[in-house]
Amino acid sequence: MRMRYEIRITSENAPGTLYRIAGTMLRKKINIESLHVQEIDPVRHLSQFTIEIFLEPDLMEKLIKQIQRIVEVTEAKYLAIGENGKA
Amino acid sequence: MEKISGGHALMRSLIREGVDTIFGYPGGAIMPVYDALYDYKDKIRHILVRHEQGAAHAAEGYSRTRGKPGVAMATSGPGATNLVTGIADAMCDSIPIVCITGQVPKAILGTDAFQEAPVIGIVTPITKWCFQVTRAEEIPEAVAKAFHIASTGRPGPVLIDITKNAQIELFDYDPQAKYSFSSRLAPKDFKKDLPRAAELLNKAERPYMLIGHGIAISKAEGELKKFMEKSGVPVASTILGLSCISTDHPLYMGMLGMHGNYSTNKLTNRADVILAVGMRFDDRVTGKISEYAKNAKIIHVDIDHAELDKVIKAEIPIHADAKEFLTGILSLIKKRDHGTWIKEFKKLDEEEKKVVNDAELYPKEGEITMAETIRVLSEKTKGKAVIVADVGQHQMIAARYYQFRAPDSYITSGGLGTMGFALPAALGAKVGDPKREVIAIIGDGSFQMTLQELGTIRQEKLAVKIIILNNRFLGMVRQWQELFFENRYSFVHMDNPDFNKITDGYHIPNELVEKREELSAALNRLLKAKGSYLLDVRVKKEENVFPMVPSGASVDEVRIK
Repeated sequence: MRMRYEIRITSENAPGTLYRIAGTMLRKKINIESLHVQEIDPVRHLSQFTIEIFLEPDLMEKLIKQIQRIVEVTEAKYLAIGENGKA
Repeated sequence: MEKISGGHALMRSLIREGVDTIFGYPGGAIMPVYDALYDYKDKIRHILVRHEQGAAHAAEGYSRTRGKPGVAMATSGPGATNLVTGIADAMCDSIPIVCITGQVPKAILGTDAFQEAPVIGIVTPITKWCFQVTRAEEIPEAVAKAFHIASTGRPGPVLIDITKNAQIELFDYDPQAKYSFSSRLAPKDFKKDLPRAAELLNKAERPYMLIGHGIAISKAEGELKKFMEKSGVPVASTILGLSCISTDHPLYMGMLGMHGNYSTNKLTNRADVILAVGMRFDDRVTGKISEYAKNAKIIHVDIDHAELDKVIKAEIPIHADAKEFLTGILSLIKKRDHGTWIKEFKKLDEEEKKVVNDAELYPKEGEITMAETIRVLSEKTKGKAVIVADVGQHQMIAARYYQFRAPDSYITSGGLGTMGFALPAALGAKVGDPKREVIAIIGDGSFQMTLQELGTIRQEKLAVKIIILNNRFLGMVRQWQELFFENRYSFVHMDNPDFNKITDGYHIPNELVEKREELSAALNRLLKAKGSYLLDVRVKKEENVFPMVPSGASVDEVRIK
């Protein structure tokens, strides 16, 4: 059963970070259902990404580790927000 | 403070990082850097490769023998895109290389300018980090960050793309500037996991240790040996872990994987506890995942937390550096002897020897075999050479039969499986450690992918020894077609050129070896040669590499014939 997840990522506010994050999803052919990016700390130049995806639960933990591995990312967490995933 | 150009700042920054060698190829968008390099010829040796792919592989080879990042440099557009295969290779095999590419001036970025390619866009998925520099003053910090990221944690390739204007612009350069970077993903408090791991190992009936490239990267060969000898646990290696432990060590059981040994694969499913250190359970190692190590509790140690539980769910995942882990656990490990369990390995080894090894290592008639060539080479070099193998049957035969006696002695493209890797990687390895004998083992197919690097070897007078194991076939694909595609040999035959004439053209001494009785003397001449030397060894046309775990099969279904 696929779940709907919200991923929250804090990263350096730098060009290419979105591309790198999206790349971890593209590799596994994961579609992005919703995306919001905003600067949250102008002094430390940090941005926050909020991304919603559908994914099998056993893959979510692996995906978040791949995202945490990105150099520009300072924190990445996820939350299951629903069960109405398409097969 | 003094005003210098971006190009000069790049040279000074590289020197600060200890760079003594650049493998590169000039072109329009990197010319200001090359002009600066002209002023630093006494400090930095630039090696002009014949294709940028060669620069990336040479940087990999250099990194493997020197133990620090190799540097590859190329111009924009096609120069940069030619680096791509080498970058992807370094990413798969965790090899620290720093690539520097020229880029069109900032003012015309994104206009489809001459020799413009979106390099950052292309390499982002295959680099640990990449960055486009568009102002000269960004260079010192970018270079420091590049080296830090490439060489810390799980190493990997990085790339800095420098627009031409940033290479030319003058800025106030501070030679004392210090940069510090956090290592956010560095392992923390792994020591709490050690007692549980030690208890599992101490109680095990049939413990089994799997080692990988991580042992070599963290230079943990000494700690590995101590751990083995105290715990008495038998050890098998992935292809990239080869040479971390001498192949004659009584607790070393052999190689894992599709063309690993019979015992090491088969007994994976007999083990009750598996300790995997610095390896990532590649599909070529595990075979069918659902059947893999099904009787074992697994302790998985890796510096990259994303590798833990990625392929195989571990009972105890440990996020740690290999050396620190082995040092930490040693005092908790009981001295044990697993003689009965090890006998199971030895029994299967005997079977492998009878069915596979003896016949191909000591053939009495017929054509030369790949295996006997490697055996004779291994004997003559006493297992102390650096073997740089390309990709294919010859790679597996070299891995199986060279008797490694020194660490950092088997360099190959393990993860990406890049044909054409060996010749440029071998020249880089020789530059990285000129004192060691470096021998490239290459198939006739692989050789033709990057043979232009003979020109680099000649020009730089590098004493790289080259052995082509020539079977006039793309042998590994042919083997699969024979075994799994009903002998339908689809485009695997090679009508080869005269490799001796080609090598003559590069003024490198060479010989053709066609008969068994010529092999030993020819190898003597190869090893005696002061400079580069090439042997085209004509081997049996249709040889198969066994044992083999067929694609999709379980490790205990490993075939011996």
